[in-house]
Amino acid sequence: MSDSADTDIKMVVAYIRPDKLGDVKQSLAEAGAPSLTVTNVSGRGSQPAKKGQWRGEEYTVDLHQKVKVECVVADIPAQDVVDAIQAGANTGEPGDGKIFVLPVESAHQIRTGTTGPDAV
Amino acid sequence: MVTPLQVDPTAVANGINNVWVLMVTFLIFFMQPGFALLESGQVRAKNVGNVLMKNMSDWFLGTIIYFVVGAGVVGVAGALTSGGGISGAFAHISDPNAWIGWLFGAVFAMTAATIVSGAVAERMNFDAYVLFTIVMTAIIYPVVVGFTWGGGLLSAGGYIGSALGAGYLDFAGATVVHMCGGIAGLVAAKLVGARKGRYDANGNSQPIPGHSMLLAVLGTFILAFGWYGFNVGTQATILAVGDDGSLTFMGAALGRVALVTTLGMSAGGAMAMLTSARYQGKPDPLWTANGLLAGLVAVTGAVPHVTWWGGALLGGLGGFLVLPAFRFTVDTLKVDDVCGVFAVHGVAGAVGTALIPIFAVGGFAINQFALQVVGVVVIALWTVVASAIVLYVLDAAVGLRVTEEEETEGLDEGEHGVSVYPEFVPNERRESTVATDGGELRTDGGELRTDDGAALDDLADGGTEVSSDE
Repeated sequence: MSDSADTDIKMVVAYIRPDKLGDVKQSLAEAGAPSLTVTNVSGRGSQPAKKGQWRGEEYTVDLHQKVKVECVVADIPAQDVVDAIQAGANTGEPGDGKIFVLPVESAHQIRTGTTGPDAV
Repeated sequence: MVTPLQVDPTAVANGINNVWVLMVTFLIFFMQPGFALLESGQVRAKNVGNVLMKNMSDWFLGTIIYFVVGAGVVGVAGALTSGGGISGAFAHISDPNAWIGWLFGAVFAMTAATIVSGAVAERMNFDAYVLFTIVMTAIIYPVVVGFTWGGGLLSAGGYIGSALGAGYLDFAGATVVHMCGGIAGLVAAKLVGARKGRYDANGNSQPIPGHSMLLAVLGTFILAFGWYGFNVGTQATILAVGDDGSLTFMGAALGRVALVTTLGMSAGGAMAMLTSARYQGKPDPLWTANGLLAGLVAVTGAVPHVTWWGGALLGGLGGFLVLPAFRFTVDTLKVDDVCGVFAVHGVAGAVGTALIPIFAVGGFAINQFALQVVGVVVIALWTVVASAIVLYVLDAAVGLRVTEEEETEGLDEGEHGVSVYPEFVPNERRESTVATDGGELRTDGGELRTDDGAALDDLADGGTEVSSDE
């Protein structure tokens, strides 16, 4: 089993609108990459700041609620995963989010101890 | 032929009336969780435990103090301002037949006391708060009751009441309970000072959003539910006994207080919603919740005395005033009243009670109107002066405010050593000498204890000192 840095395991990290999570899950499943981890996060990018109000006083909300989606793939090309997420998360408005692809040095399955692409 | 009822009608009426009083007493007690939720929702998550401690202390200390001291002070204050004798003031302590009535009075006292905590949330020293709430239930509130319901100063037999030829009208305590609490809260919030960050360098207010609108609105509904006990229950007589032994059901009186309470609450909520939509562009849940309570406060003194439409107008006025009164408190008076208790309880109570004669069922009477205005002023003045004196003394004795560091960290940790919303709590205790958070592990012997991992407590906070006598 290989655990060197030149495996073909990739991690696709996407920051998407919370209300698009359902669509993204659906399109990922259709692309054959149903496994994922999601986290509630806040962040800012091109989406303009909005105003919050408390007792008639305004305050600026410049960190928007997003969902971070992480998918690690070995057999399926990372580009397919990127395309699936983009298809599911796109609304055309600023604030749709970003997708990043990172190399993964090694993978290990906790239950079985399997390592390498088989662990993914 | 119908056989006449072979029982004493007075006993029947007493039994039913007292069970009714007990039932509404329990309803009024249920306002306490309402206040706890309402106030918790309007503060940041780091101060929720402190708000809850204040609300509980108000209740469990207040009831003891009110039994031993407060209820007696009512009698003393009433007698001294009406030329009566004070010998019977503390008689309730040894008279079991007085205890249902005492408990009914006590739940009102605790409502007044608990209002204060909403104004001073997030920065008042807990010791100072507890001492203040003790004085509130021992003296400040009981004197107001003595002036009014206790037959003193403002009642028909009191010095001011008899001079004006009328008795002060405040049925269930819009001013006696709510305005007293609201004004004491305003004075306390002023003297404790604004929360850190509440005003910028130019003195302009900055919002500090509370952590849960849900808790605040849920608390509002629970308060409104308990309020039916407060207002309708003050119509304590359900069955009246006539001279001939006949029993009369007081359905019309009960119906009026129930209806006017409901219409006042609803008009208050509606007006606050409209005002907030006009001012902010959208209808705001917190203002609407505050307005609903202000509507209730506004009619609390008026329910049996006014027409149904008069009650709706009073409630609507209370709800309308919440937003401008709160902005006035914060922007003009520069007082950081966290939960808006002065706007909700103080202003609505004063206006609703002063205007009772305008909407009176029996028509307008100028001397009654004069007494209402004088009464509101007297109660407000007493509350301001008494609260200020007590708070100045407490400031000198124990300090009113927590340290700046503690305020930043949160009063839950600083005052009580707890976290109301803990995260990532280890689910089991391990025998280990490894500090997992970068805390320094001592290897020089002697100081590091290995007794069931207790040394980790000292290391877990990243401290480098491990003392064996801690």
